[in-house]
Amino acid sequence: MTGVIARRLLGSLGAIFGASIIAFVIMRVLPGNPARLILGPLAPPSTVHSLYRQLGLDRPIYVQYWRYITQFFQGQWGYSYSDGAPVRTLIGERLPATIELALFAFLITMLASIVLALLVTYRRRPIADRIVRAIAYIGFGTPPFFVSLILLIVFFSTLKILPGPEGRLGAQVTPPATVTHLYTIDALIAGEPGKFLEAVEHLVLPGVALGMANFAFLVRLLRANLLEVSREPFITVVRGKGLRRWTAFRRHALPNASLPTLTAGGLVLGEFLAGSVLVEKVFNWPGVGSLVYEAILKQDFSIVQTFILLSAVMFVLVNLGVDLLYAVIDPRVRVRSVVTA
Amino acid sequence: MGALSVLERMRGLREDRGAPAGVRAPQAATDDADGPFALSVRNLRTVYELGHATVQAVREVSFDLRPTERLGVVGESGSGKSALALSILGLIEPPGRVGGGEVLLNGRNIVGLSERQLSSIRGREIALILQDPMSALDPVKTIGAQLHEAIAVHNPQLRRSALRRRAAELLREVDIPQAERRLDDYPHQYSGGMRQRVAIAMAIANNPSVLIADEPTTALDVTTQAQVLGLLDRLVDEHRAAVILITHNLGIVSEFCDSVSVMYAGRLVESSSCEHIFLGATHPYSEALLRCVPNPERLAEGPLPAIPGFPPDLSALPGGCTFAPRCSVGRELAVCHEQTPVPELVEGPSGSAIVECHFARERAARGSR
Repeated sequence: MTGVIARRLLGSLGAIFGASIIAFVIMRVLPGNPARLILGPLAPPSTVHSLYRQLGLDRPIYVQYWRYITQFFQGQWGYSYSDGAPVRTLIGERLPATIELALFAFLITMLASIVLALLVTYRRRPIADRIVRAIAYIGFGTPPFFVSLILLIVFFSTLKILPGPEGRLGAQVTPPATVTHLYTIDALIAGEPGKFLEAVEHLVLPGVALGMANFAFLVRLLRANLLEVSREPFITVVRGKGLRRWTAFRRHALPNASLPTLTAGGLVLGEFLAGSVLVEKVFNWPGVGSLVYEAILKQDFSIVQTFILLSAVMFVLVNLGVDLLYAVIDPRVRVRSVVTA
Repeated sequence: MGALSVLERMRGLREDRGAPAGVRAPQAATDDADGPFALSVRNLRTVYELGHATVQAVREVSFDLRPTERLGVVGESGSGKSALALSILGLIEPPGRVGGGEVLLNGRNIVGLSERQLSSIRGREIALILQDPMSALDPVKTIGAQLHEAIAVHNPQLRRSALRRRAAELLREVDIPQAERRLDDYPHQYSGGMRQRVAIAMAIANNPSVLIADEPTTALDVTTQAQVLGLLDRLVDEHRAAVILITHNLGIVSEFCDSVSVMYAGRLVESSSCEHIFLGATHPYSEALLRCVPNPERLAEGPLPAIPGFPPDLSALPGGCTFAPRCSVGRELAVCHEQTPVPELVEGPSGSAIVECHFARERAARGSR
């Protein structure tokens, strides 16, 4: 077990190292002098030069990298030069919104794909299967920002049953008392069901828009796995023992089919945490994604750079968690690791 | 075990378990259907509807099984043996379905019962052992949990400690050493032979009166095969279960079974006692199957013969006798290609048989060898 953890950790460090190189290089290959970029075209050359040295840009490249990476892990992510505030503060303010949206999107995506995959494989109705496959194709082929717009047109402009692009809460609603920074959970803790509903209502459309493509991916994966597992002889054996079809499905087919889905789920959650820039923009969601969107427009590269590395770290951590979970759930992984450790 | 000494073994066939069930004409048997039989199958029909074609996997099959009788069902791959097994248990999955007939289990027809009713019968009155010990156990559940499940589903009143005791007992009964400790192991920590023992343990957990074993030893090596078959032999005797042993290994049939049915293209083309088949098969197909068994006495005759051609496509069966295109007797005969042979009760030198062949009577009279 410790062998598995050590190897996975090592692999994760490798991935983070790769991402840090990319984030670092992006800054260096940009044309022009970052100091000039920060100070603007009117600043005198001497000021530019002193900032250049202050930023350490005259030092050898590996020293610069070392400084960058150690500072990143110390939480010193530099300053936004469009805003002047520390990047850490800016991202810290926005991160809960992104995490809440990602978790919500993940929850509905997983639930929807499990329910629908079970429906089509358990019932074996070709029509249901075709409908789910059609939904999956549409979800696959449509970019999330476009899905966002369609959802807004249908559910906000036309049907008027869900709130529009106004962020996490309506304009008149004050956030619940802060505990976790996630409004839904904070509202529950504070015992304010009205605010909880308000927060959920605001999560639905961006959550669906964000989850659509990955729902398509997950439902197809799970459907294929379920079909495969349900044809395994052990399902027949289990039913031969006297278990009803549904019980056999639930107790034996679903756990076996969910193993690959777990891996996919990790990828999906990592993606939700890292990549909701456009969906956040469309819904005015005050998360990291819209912060990055603005930063790109303003060429505020310290935010972009931090975001790249930070999403890599989150992605890797989520998948590390999945790998460890895998070892807990699947006895074959566990034993193999004991043997190799 | 091999089939090297099939004939030798047959000569000293076990007399101890009483006379082999012998043969009953299907028409006559309907009268005493709920009489002495553990299982009576009547005109069972199973089809797979694949949209463009309908595959007839089991075609109007009838047979009877007395309590503690052991019936071997032999045939090539794709002859419908496994479909027959699953049809009896009501486990045919869509697009397949049982299209007609009756399965009388201890006198009660179980075709068309609800899933709830069937599931209370499966595992308790009739149990199943499958071919592949690798995939017959759930890889992510412990052996103990899977044994618990087999017991608990029909004994919901049992507590966990009682379940565990009973599971360990079952493991000991199938000769798994250190049974208590090995309950917590997973299937991949067991060898193939041990897994097959576990499968047998699960099947006998509730003392079923009928056990269907679909190629229970095919995936095992020869020594393990012998051990597993010996174990099955002992347990079936102890638990007084009737067995349907589905296999393509005639050696196993000769060693284990009282009676045998040869399946071809979804029909039982010859049903008789083991002596009859092994000493003088009547149907040309049974005869050809026996010729394919290696026998040192026939080494001089050159390489093992094979049956020419392939089993027919079950979605487009030819008229007449389905074996005619491959048959050494009827390949050229118009009657074989045009008329479907009816089951006929014939007397041979070593007992009676039900045979579906136009020449059954003549062939039985002279013996086929």
